[in-house]
Amino acid sequence: MKITVHYTINSKACDLEVDAGETLLEALRNRLKLTSVHRSCEEGECGACTVLLNGEPVNSCLMLAAAADGADILTTEGLMRGDQRHPIMDAFVDLHGMQCGFCTPGLLMTGYSLVRKANGGDLDEATIRQSIEGNLCRCTGYMNIVKAIQEAKRRKDAGDWW
Amino acid sequence: MESREHRLISGRGQYADDLDFPGMAHLVFVGSPHAHARIVRLDVAEAEAVPGVIRVITGADVVEHTHPLPVQANFTSPGWTWRLAEVYAMPADKVRWHGEPVAAVVAEDERTARIAADKIQVEYDPLPVVAGAEDALKPNAPKLYDDWPDNKQVHLKFDFGDPDAAFKEADRVITVSNREGRVTGLPIEGRGCVGHYDRGKGTLTMWGAFQTPYLQRHNIAAAMGLPEARVSINAVDIGGAFGLKIHAWKENVVALASKLTGRYVKWFEPQRDFIVTGPHQRDVSWQGEVAVKNDGTLLGLRATVTHDLGVESTQKGIAALSIFPACSSPCNMYRWKGMHIEGIGAVTNKSFYCAYRGYGKDKGIKFIEAVINRVARELNMTPEAIRFKNFIQPDEFPFKAINNYVLDNGDYPGTLNRALEMVDVDKWRAEQEKGRAGGRHIGIGIVTSIEPAGVAVPNCQMGGLTQARVAICPDGTVEVDSDRTEIGQGSEISHVNIVSGILGCKKEDVYVRPVTSETIGQGPLSSRGAVWPASAVAKAAKQLRAKVDRFAASMFDATVDDIRIADGVIGCGKDTEKQLTFAEFANKAFFFPGPRRLPKEVLLEHEQLLSVTTTWYSPSTPESGSSYTTFCTSADIAVVEVDTETGVTKILKYAHVHDAGTVISKKVIDGQIHGGIVQGIGEALMEELKYDRNGQLLNTSFAEYLIPTAVEAPVIEIAHLVTPSPFSETGAKGMGEAPIIGSKAVILTAVEDALSPFGILVEDSPASPERVRAWVNGSKGDEQ
Ligand code: FES
Ligand code: FES
Repeated sequence: MKITVHYTINSKACDLEVDAGETLLEALRNRLKLTSVHRSCEEGECGACTVLLNGEPVNSCLMLAAAADGADILTTEGLMRGDQRHPIMDAFVDLHGMQCGFCTPGLLMTGYSLVRKANGGDLDEATIRQSIEGNLCRCTGYMNIVKAIQEAKRRKDAGDWW
Repeated sequence: MESREHRLISGRGQYADDLDFPGMAHLVFVGSPHAHARIVRLDVAEAEAVPGVIRVITGADVVEHTHPLPVQANFTSPGWTWRLAEVYAMPADKVRWHGEPVAAVVAEDERTARIAADKIQVEYDPLPVVAGAEDALKPNAPKLYDDWPDNKQVHLKFDFGDPDAAFKEADRVITVSNREGRVTGLPIEGRGCVGHYDRGKGTLTMWGAFQTPYLQRHNIAAAMGLPEARVSINAVDIGGAFGLKIHAWKENVVALASKLTGRYVKWFEPQRDFIVTGPHQRDVSWQGEVAVKNDGTLLGLRATVTHDLGVESTQKGIAALSIFPACSSPCNMYRWKGMHIEGIGAVTNKSFYCAYRGYGKDKGIKFIEAVINRVARELNMTPEAIRFKNFIQPDEFPFKAINNYVLDNGDYPGTLNRALEMVDVDKWRAEQEKGRAGGRHIGIGIVTSIEPAGVAVPNCQMGGLTQARVAICPDGTVEVDSDRTEIGQGSEISHVNIVSGILGCKKEDVYVRPVTSETIGQGPLSSRGAVWPASAVAKAAKQLRAKVDRFAASMFDATVDDIRIADGVIGCGKDTEKQLTFAEFANKAFFFPGPRRLPKEVLLEHEQLLSVTTTWYSPSTPESGSSYTTFCTSADIAVVEVDTETGVTKILKYAHVHDAGTVISKKVIDGQIHGGIVQGIGEALMEELKYDRNGQLLNTSFAEYLIPTAVEAPVIEIAHLVTPSPFSETGAKGMGEAPIIGSKAVILTAVEDALSPFGILVEDSPASPERVRAWVNGSKGDEQ
């Protein structure tokens, strides 16, 4: 059965026909070619497929495409401003928070939402670590990811665009 | 030009799962639910009837259309056992492990393929299961391979130095044993590729998560029965590898599917399949005795290490090969008189064994580090004191060890001293004392290790193959080819740093091309990237630089000694008039005026192209026979606290000192250290693949096979020493595996230290909460 859904994806409105059993991950990757949304466990355990749904990080592999009807969805592609990298992306590059890059889009989304919601002062390490617990990374040992998120917060507080 | 980092961070990476070709079909494997069974009947009719299914490929198809997987390592020697089984990419008659693929569905889309896969009916006749190495080696155990006399695949025996003399001289001999649980390296991205067999041209092209394209081409061509020259293997962005993506196994089925259907065929492995269908590692047990003097002098070791290899590796002989370094590595960085080591590998009904960060080099070091700390405790010495007593000293290099390794150099005492500056162990020991009085169990662990890097051994596919090409294009940009696939370990950044440093061009003008089977080489394994490919790239860059100097001298009417190159500008002495950018220079060399205006000698020597292709071979290996070229050094100190009620271990402090010779890129090295340490911590505290007696793998997902999250991963403090290796072109040493070795060993020894009031020896890993609770309960709770 086909269902028509309406999303706002990366600030653009879009209508899409999806199958009833199709996951949001499949719709984003296969229909919309948003291939930054990575597929690994497809069981909600790794976070590689994390996107923001109405501002909150979700595992897109666990959600049906139809259930996201009407949602505002943000993926890594949507963090870019043309060719310009988002400050959190700069922080990941500058602090070497990425090695193979497979977990990175998911971590960017979780990190972005965390920093966006945080007010004043530095984000403490424990809070960051707990917030990204659902995003597995096998390469970096998380050290530089944590630092990159902290740095992104500093850049945001210093007036960098967000 | 745009960097890899920019491409990946902006979401434009192209990983195997992102590959898309016109008319591409999708392939899904069907695995056996049994660990050991005969295939009685395999019915694909219902699956083939599903709309959208193009074809089902069975083991029988594979046997009919392909060859057995090729031999990759073969060591027969008198007195040794070395057996290889004949296996195909999929079996037609018998399955030997839970999950072994028996069929593959090719369909228009992946979802359809998955639906059809569920409709394949297989009737099995179960056979008795060999559930572990101990069972496998029992007389009358059921056999995995009918043509073998038993289940012993490998038995190697080594005498290093003079073991008898060592034991004769000993004041005491201490019995030691140790076991490591079975683990998987598990990159977050599974394996995957697209295959395209062009029926018109008779060529096979594949793109995907290929860690070693040149070897994979050889092995896929051999299995497919295609001329190697007509096969091309291309690495795309790879989501981590750690040794787990060197395979030419299921990839053959993808290639066959394309050949049989004429379509582009894609396969992307779900994580569950990646766990269940290997490759696996570790799962070894050590039994032995160590000979020492009462003053702490280490003398000798007699030990046997038994490996549970699972089934014959899909990289035939490569699992067995890892037993060599396991046997050699216990010498680590100390002076020894003699060792007798035996390495046994048994086949069992478990998924196969293959490379994972460490590849056996880790096993001997972890074992001996645990042993040395036990000896220290027995002799009432500190772990640091016993090491200082036995280290090979800085003035002894190059040092030919009894295991035949030629250790390049290092400052072993200096490395440990630096770590002791970072962690005030006396303060922590006082804290430990205090804590014990109040029921807190703090443990302090100290280990030191070298990492043998850059393997070159005979009679296998890892004899020391490497090739590099550095070229200046007519527009002045620089391209680099090597066999060092980018798997997240920083090949590209490293090559850019090396090449721009030597040529004097701008970093952003260097493009490191994706690795393909066109470049000869073993690829990045055994931490050889910074040793072999980096040396070859540096050598090519130096030769190219000499050409640039020569060409520029003729353009400026000067001598080569006058040429200065920095930051993309080629200059001549102090003459600011005489300057060329790389683009201007290249344009002159290639076209305007082009080769005709180059010096006559250049043309007569056929040296007119700004391109150098070369290779490199370890300078220490040919004469000494040392299988490894560089030996980086590290010291790990960890402080842990074990909650004896819950069994949970918390890491309070973690310090790592590293000496990887010349630093090509600090951020790359630090990143490798962080990642490796956390993987080692995973192995030490949580990771273990658990099979039941029926050969069923019980933990098959991230939910059950736990790897460290950001919450378990500690804050890691790092310091560097720099002792450039005399044996590599840049002075750098391979270091990718060192961190996983030291971290696992140091956490386990720290846990043992924490539990010492209970008299517990941590002789098994992981020291998971359940296991720690069992140890504590088993000690009847008597704190001694
Ligand atoms: S793919 Fe969605 S959580 Fe792993
Ligand atoms: S960078 Fe490789 S999984 Fe995180």
